[in-house]
Order: sequence, then C-alpha cells, then structure tokens
Amino acid sequence: MKGKVISVHSSRGGTGKTVIATNLAVTYANKGLNIALLDLDFRAPSLITVFSKGIRGPVKHWLNDFMSGQCTIEQALINVSEEYNLSGRLLIGLANPAIEAIQNIMGKSRAWEVTAVKKLFSLRSTLSNDMDIDRCIFDTSPGIQYSSINAVISSDVSIIVTTLDSLDIKGVQRMLAEFYDAFEKRTVVLMNKVFPQTRIWSNGRQKELISQMEKALKHPIIGVIPCYCDVLQAKRASLLAVEKLGHPFLRNLEEVAEKLEHIDWINKNRRRCFGKGNFE
Amino acid sequence: MAAGETVKKKSPTLDVNVLLAMLIDELNQVNKKLDSMVELNGKMLKTQEEFLQRITNQSYRSEAIKLEPDAMTLLSLPRSLRKTVMALYKLKEATAEDLARETNRLRAVESASANQLVRMGYLKKKREGRKVYFYIG
Repeated sequence: MKGKVISVHSSRGGTGKTVIATNLAVTYANKGLNIALLDLDFRAPSLITVFSKGIRGPVKHWLNDFMSGQCTIEQALINVSEEYNLSGRLLIGLANPAIEAIQNIMGKSRAWEVTAVKKLFSLRSTLSNDMDIDRCIFDTSPGIQYSSINAVISSDVSIIVTTLDSLDIKGVQRMLAEFYDAFEKRTVVLMNKVFPQTRIWSNGRQKELISQMEKALKHPIIGVIPCYCDVLQAKRASLLAVEKLGHPFLRNLEEVAEKLEHIDWINKNRRRCFGKGNFE
Repeated sequence: MAAGETVKKKSPTLDVNVLLAMLIDELNQVNKKLDSMVELNGKMLKTQEEFLQRITNQSYRSEAIKLEPDAMTLLSLPRSLRKTVMALYKLKEATAEDLARETNRLRAVESASANQLVRMGYLKKKREGRKVYFYIG
C-alpha cells in the first residue's frame, strides 16, 4: 500500500476540504507514516498559510515550477516534520500564491494540462520508490476545473468532502454522476460540519443519516464529522492536529484514516470499496 | 437396461487443453487479421491524403489533426477510448498488449481503441522491430 495517492475534493468551497487534508496528513505523520501533502489548488493556494510556522526562509521552488518542468519534485517539497515534532516525515508542496503565478496557471494550454496530468501520474513512483513516501495527499480546488480533475484522475482514491447543505449535496451528486463515474474512480464521501454532535449521537441518527446519504449519492460515506463550534471559530489556518491534540474532531479524522487503510485499493468495484467489517 | 437409468452419451474424446490451445490459436489469428485490417486502413487513409494533397497542391494533414487528450476532452470521449488514454497516462508508452494488461481488456480491443485514437489525432504510434508502441504525443 506504499505510495498511494489520496485526493481531497469538494463540489463547492467552504466544506472544510483543506482542514481535512492538512489534519489528515498530520494525523498520518503522527502515526509514523511518511506523507507528502500537495497543494493543487493553484487558483487559491492555502497550504503556505496553514504551514507558515513550519516553513523556514523563503520558498525556493513551488509546485507550479515542478508542473512546468522547472524543478524536480524533491526540490519542490519542504520537510516540516521537525517543526511540528512529528514521528513520520511530512513533506509539503506549496502552490505559489503570487497573482502572476495564478494568472500564469489560468492561461495554460490544453497541451500543458496533458503534461501536468502525466507528471501527476508519474509522481507516484518517484514518491514511493525514491523518497519512501507512504501516502500522498492532494488538496485540490473545488468543483470541476483542470487542476482538480487532473488531481482526481491521477489519484488512487478520492475523498469528497461535503456538508449537509442541499447545494453541496446536489453538487456532489452531479459531480459523481457526470465526472467520477465517467472515470470509474474509487470514491468515498466525508460529511463534514454536520449539525451539532448531541443531535446526531443522542437519538442514534448517525446510521440513518449515513444510509440515506449512501442511497442518495450511491457511494460509501467514510465518516460523519459533526460541526464543532471551536473548530469553526478557530482560524482556518490553524493546525488542529498539532495545536489541539485529543480534540474529538481529530478522533473522527483518525477513524477516517483507519477506514482509508482498509480500502481495497485494487478492487475497482466502488460498492465493495471497504474491507470486511471495517465500515461500521 | 433398468428403468430410470440414464444413458451417458459418449462425447468425442477431446482434451480440454487441446480445445483451449485451439481457441487461443484462433484468437491469435483473429488478432493478426484485425492488426492487418487496421494497418491496411491506415495505408488507405495515407494514400487518400496523398491524393488529396496532390490535387489540392497543399498540405492536407493540417495542425488541427493533432488533438490533446486533456482531462476535459476525456470526458467527451466514449468510455472505451477514455480507458485507453487513462492507461497511457500511467504507462507513458505501451503496446496493445501492455494496455490490455493495465485495463483488463482484450488485446484486440486495446489495439482497435488505440488505433482509433491515433486516427482521431489524440495518440501517436511508433514501430520498434515487431512491436508497435502507442503514446500521447
């Protein structure tokens, strides 16, 4: 299972995609796994802000440079494990937040996009064989655009993060039917910011909710993360997995990480995505 | 013969292995025929192009023929062709046999699909000895 690639995607912004991707990466690294976390949201880069405390000095190479063939992936990755006191290695690849870089990406041709997707496909062998990386996580841009499509099609499994908002749910339904199913991707849905914890757990509605959502989306739900007020109030740029160890949000995420480990990476049948007895 | 006793028909004594070998042989011949048909088709297209080029006195093969199989374009392709391009993204360059191994489809299916993509301008192919390699140009 070494070198597997997980993309974190959503149909719209604000679902908590980056919070999930960054904290999932730190959760894995805390367990001793070697992780690469790549910011593939070239239009709205955010990892540079989330990891600002862990980046020493100016960034020499961006992921934009790697995608354009101006540097190697080794040069584009920054090791932040020591700064966050992690047991495994956490390497982050940052998208350039400069306006010129964003404009540059937006003006790229189709030929460039083909090269970009080929680079993402070949990344897997470099990361696992040459850099001993166990998991690579792509934090993508929301919706259907080149950077997110390229990330999704080149990953082994996709996590779609959604809230219970009907706009999100409809968006995910459309995206699954028109895009994910066309590419036959292994996909799981993670429900985030779901109404207050007490209302789900007290009346045992969680299972009912999962079964309703699986029926509506026709894809497995890998987890339901309640809406925690302090998580919402915390800065989006903060790293909960470092700053608030033991927080219930992180326990939820650990469960997601555990379930991801039991995904049948080989089986292409999405209905049999999980190993025996690991989903409930 | 007692009532109710079933009569076992004696089937011709053909070994299953022999049958399978014959089947594989037949399939290989079908593959060869398909390949030669694809090759012939390609030659016919080339002759047609040369003829058109001669009568119009200009290059018939325009730049527009070279198309980029980017992710958005893949969505508009039929599922069978999309699968071949996806496999080529991963393998970079591959024979029809390599593609078949990656997609779990028949070699003949991959050969037809890849050649179709070459004709459409999405892929290129090159011959190295007896092997034909497909790649994204």
